[in-house]
Amino acid sequence: MSKKPSRHMIRRSIIVLVALLVGAFGADVASLVRIQLIQADEYRLKAESQQLSDTEIQPQRGIIYDRNKKVLAQSANVWLVYLNPSKIPNDKVRNELSEGLAKVLELEKEDVLEKAKQSKYGYVVVKKQVEKEMKDAVSDFISKHDTALKKAREEEESRKQELKKAHKDVPESSIPEDQKDTYYSEIIFTDPDVKRYYPNGHLASTVLGFTGTDGIGRWGLEAKYDETLAGTPGRILTAKNAGMDSMDTPYETTYDAKQGNSLVLTIDEVIQYYLEKSLDQARVNAQAKSAYGIVMDVETGGILAMATKGDFDPNNPHTIADEKTAQELEKILDPDKKYQELTNAQYTQWRNRAITDTYEPGSVFKVITASAAVEENVVPDDFTYTCTGVINVAGTKIHCHKRTGHGQEDFTHGLMNSCNPFFITVGQMLGAEKFYKYFEAFGFTERTGIDLPSETAPVEGRSYHTLDQLGIVELASTSFGQTFEATAIQILTAVNAIANGGKLMQPYIVSSVLDEEGNTISTTQPTVKRQVISEKSAATVANMMEHVVSEGTGKNAYVAGFRLAGKTGTSEKLAGGGKKEGKYVASFVCFAPANDPKISMLIVIDEPVGEINGGQIATPVAAEVAEATLNYLNVDPQYTAQELADLGEETPSVTGLSLAKAREALSGFTVRTVGEGSTVVDQMPAEGQLIPENGVVVLYTDKTSEKKQVTVPDLTGLSVSEANQKALEYGLNPKIFGNSLTMGESVSYKQSEAEGTQVEEGTVVTIYFKSNVDVNDLASD
Amino acid sequence: MSANANAVRGRNRTQPEEKQGRSFLRGLLSRDAFDVPFMAFTLALLTVGLVMLLSASSTYAYYNEGGDSTHYFKRQLLFAIAGVVLMFLVSKINYEWYKFLAIPGIVISVGLLVLVLFYHTDMGDFKRWIPLPGGQTFQPSEIAKVALVLFCAWSMEKHHLQITGKAPLQGGVTTWLRRKTRERVDLSKASASTAYMLYYALVICLMCGLVFLENHLSGTILMFSIGVAMMFFGEVKARWFAIGAAVVAAVVIFFLIFPDKLPSYAAERIEMWRNEDADPYGARWQTNQSLYAIGSGGFLGAGLGNSKQKHLYVSEPQNDFIFSIVCEELGFVGATAIIILFGLLIWRGFVIAMKARDRFGALLALGLVFQVGLQVALNIAVVTDTVPNTGISLPFFSYGGTSLVILLMEMGIVLSVSRYSRVQKQ
Repeated sequence: MSKKPSRHMIRRSIIVLVALLVGAFGADVASLVRIQLIQADEYRLKAESQQLSDTEIQPQRGIIYDRNKKVLAQSANVWLVYLNPSKIPNDKVRNELSEGLAKVLELEKEDVLEKAKQSKYGYVVVKKQVEKEMKDAVSDFISKHDTALKKAREEEESRKQELKKAHKDVPESSIPEDQKDTYYSEIIFTDPDVKRYYPNGHLASTVLGFTGTDGIGRWGLEAKYDETLAGTPGRILTAKNAGMDSMDTPYETTYDAKQGNSLVLTIDEVIQYYLEKSLDQARVNAQAKSAYGIVMDVETGGILAMATKGDFDPNNPHTIADEKTAQELEKILDPDKKYQELTNAQYTQWRNRAITDTYEPGSVFKVITASAAVEENVVPDDFTYTCTGVINVAGTKIHCHKRTGHGQEDFTHGLMNSCNPFFITVGQMLGAEKFYKYFEAFGFTERTGIDLPSETAPVEGRSYHTLDQLGIVELASTSFGQTFEATAIQILTAVNAIANGGKLMQPYIVSSVLDEEGNTISTTQPTVKRQVISEKSAATVANMMEHVVSEGTGKNAYVAGFRLAGKTGTSEKLAGGGKKEGKYVASFVCFAPANDPKISMLIVIDEPVGEINGGQIATPVAAEVAEATLNYLNVDPQYTAQELADLGEETPSVTGLSLAKAREALSGFTVRTVGEGSTVVDQMPAEGQLIPENGVVVLYTDKTSEKKQVTVPDLTGLSVSEANQKALEYGLNPKIFGNSLTMGESVSYKQSEAEGTQVEEGTVVTIYFKSNVDVNDLASD
Repeated sequence: MSANANAVRGRNRTQPEEKQGRSFLRGLLSRDAFDVPFMAFTLALLTVGLVMLLSASSTYAYYNEGGDSTHYFKRQLLFAIAGVVLMFLVSKINYEWYKFLAIPGIVISVGLLVLVLFYHTDMGDFKRWIPLPGGQTFQPSEIAKVALVLFCAWSMEKHHLQITGKAPLQGGVTTWLRRKTRERVDLSKASASTAYMLYYALVICLMCGLVFLENHLSGTILMFSIGVAMMFFGEVKARWFAIGAAVVAAVVIFFLIFPDKLPSYAAERIEMWRNEDADPYGARWQTNQSLYAIGSGGFLGAGLGNSKQKHLYVSEPQNDFIFSIVCEELGFVGATAIIILFGLLIWRGFVIAMKARDRFGALLALGLVFQVGLQVALNIAVVTDTVPNTGISLPFFSYGGTSLVILLMEMGIVLSVSRYSRVQKQ
């Protein structure tokens, strides 16, 4: 008997070998082919999605500059604080950590605790937009705790070692598991974050808008240009193990963030400030719902300033800035209603009314009708019209704002008086077709296309009459600015065309875009939309408008040295169904200097109380802004002889002279001396101030003597001479601003130094005057 | 011809069989050369296995063994060194001496398998491990598998003629029964091949039953497969395998249809295998993570040491699922190369067996090598989700000191067979 393996056995062995190698091993390799070659990507993606922690690097948002590269909005580096609650071992640590962290972050302990309880997660944000100071405090909090814990652990360790050396029993641990502390540095973390700052607070807030806490533009330019400003986020891909720790071997890939581009606006911070200051004051004085205005660069259509008062601080956009509204909100108890009202109030204060609100332009529109008439030459040079206070249009009686009638007037006087029957007549002379041609050409049927979000679009047949709808009555009302609505930007853009030699510009607010290094990427070229009227016609209308300011309803917009051309407007708001509700819109549109316009401006006072005429309340605002702006723009004033005389005299420098010589130099002025010395060491006002011929000059002869103080009296409600006299009596030098040409009727309404404040004797106080005679232009029937 | 005589007689194949009377020690140890390819494949797999264990276990060790990334590797390395030494020593021993261990081996194994049911580590329902002093554990089923192979090899050589039906039943039991029943029961007239088939089936079922009672389904399957393979190698008549296959198929189909009839732990695993979306953070976690790892490897792999899935995703990556990390780091190319290396080892083992000096050596080598091959095939099938998660370790790769030493000693026995085998050994 052979002991060797039989053939039979060998055959069976080969069967098993083949089954094993080809069958079983083959099946294994086939599985690998399926998983590693065919479905590899699917599994790899699943693996990566759990392995990689994808951290986004927020790019730095671009800066918003004014046209002189002054910062209007800028992002600063801040931090966000987050927890890895899965690393919290027990409730004791959770409690202590939450309490301490809440204190540092100025949060409620409960809120932090709630987040610390999410122990399934490795990343729970506790607070965003933490500034450096607070971030440092968090780091301190962590290191203080961890240092103490490390020390305690080391002490326990050395105690154990000693026991070991002494061959004594080493206790496991004196601290039970649920009391064991752990390092905070394994639980609390900070990540870079960004925050948006608006260094000027309210300034241009409705234009700039704001960003959300996520850094995305939510309103205004921030929203409109979000893509430009935002940049492209970078990413850090970090591999993490299943315990959410970084792996010991670093797998990390960084994709750099592309920083956002910056915007340079056409806005001038200084002009914006002038506009806002005056509008704010006007809004308070008129108790108006809001006051808004636009200052435009005549030649380019660039917006120099745009403001809506009753606005907000974009640093805290959700806080209601208006104190009265905020107080009223506080009183609401029903939380749903409160939330609703709060939301309404927020949207109200965020509104850029200059582009979103529409209103009946009223008499301001007469300059457009006039332009059409001049361009079409339908009004002969010798044309006159006699206003009786009422006109009959196809059986409908339409009243003039002056019920007694303006009497006989030529074209210029018709505009100066803002006479409704006159312009109804002009409208009829033009006829619907020609009238509508200019209505359309001046842009009243389209958006201006300004690069700001939510500009209201005109709706044909609803916000204005189409040519088909322009019957004789509609033509009549439209020609003096009623029965249609427009936005402030539409109206100013149209009037700006008159100032700009008939060229209608497309208004814009972003003049250029810069990359992160400050290189210009793109520049907005001023766009002439069309030549609406000829240069000659434009000059004619401008001249008529100048008369409106020098003699007509716009006289309160008078600025000594600068020739303003303008037009007042007042309209009653229509509630639903065309009913009037006793709410008004007062406005004034103007450009200056009239002979070579640099700026155009529209001031709107929404729902004023008391004085409601544009000529009463909008014109002084325009005058204040125009004077400050033109001076700021270094436009040389051109004074008339009378104006020069009214300016007063320049104070000479007498400091250093002997008292006698000083008195000689100051002959004509009222000189007061303080001190015992014989030489002038200081003077008030200083050299080069314009003060009245009999103005007060205080001379100090002792270096040690205190400045003489006086209390400013109430200088409002006075005529020019009364105010002058009263100021001098108090030792103050008056400076007259505003409508002083019509001395007899002007009354002071504002003073530069508030009543009751202490100022040095000899201080120059600006007193603002305006007239209430013949500035009304509201047609009420 | 007694086993004793056999063992003393043959030193190597060049010696005439009739030559007798040499010293005990000369018969015990072999001076012939071992099979170099088999040794080379073994050492290659052991080396690759150790390197992969170091890579796969580093993070798990760091987090679970007090910051020591090389904890498992160092221990495995010590066992590997000891195992290689033992392998060499075992290979020197004339394998015929193991015939003496066939009966004691199977008896002790059964004893240990019974013992473990009452004395085992506290691992829930699993009664697989006997605790040893010093924190080590020991799986009796590991020994039992070897014991079964050894027993079958010894017995099947001895009763070869009966198994193949070429000789009637004879021997003590048969004679005793005939005498006691006054020749009314004469087993020698019964079919010897059927009787031996039943005899081995009984032994195998006893072993399998005991392992099954440990709640060790994978061990049971391995034990059963090895037993059936031994019967197949031992030339039990083919028809029984056809019948057996039908029975096994029926059982498998029955349990696939009614998984709730299985022990709960096994039923759960089958359910998790059939439903890929079930319980992704629980029972299905390990398999999913394994698939993610294998898939991530792609064609060329992430590179040695660059697995991401070993970072606590694949739970206990040093144990049964180590091959998923191999696939991730070495890719399809590396993983296939390792499978081929295993294939070469098994092929060489079979060659040694088929050219063995005697049937005992052949059966011994076939059983041991088959066991390795089966374990490799099943392990990879588990990590690739081809079969339900059973808990079979990968030879040479998975962490486990005692099983590595046992494995290397088994390879030593195959090498011992090779010393007397008629293969080209270079």
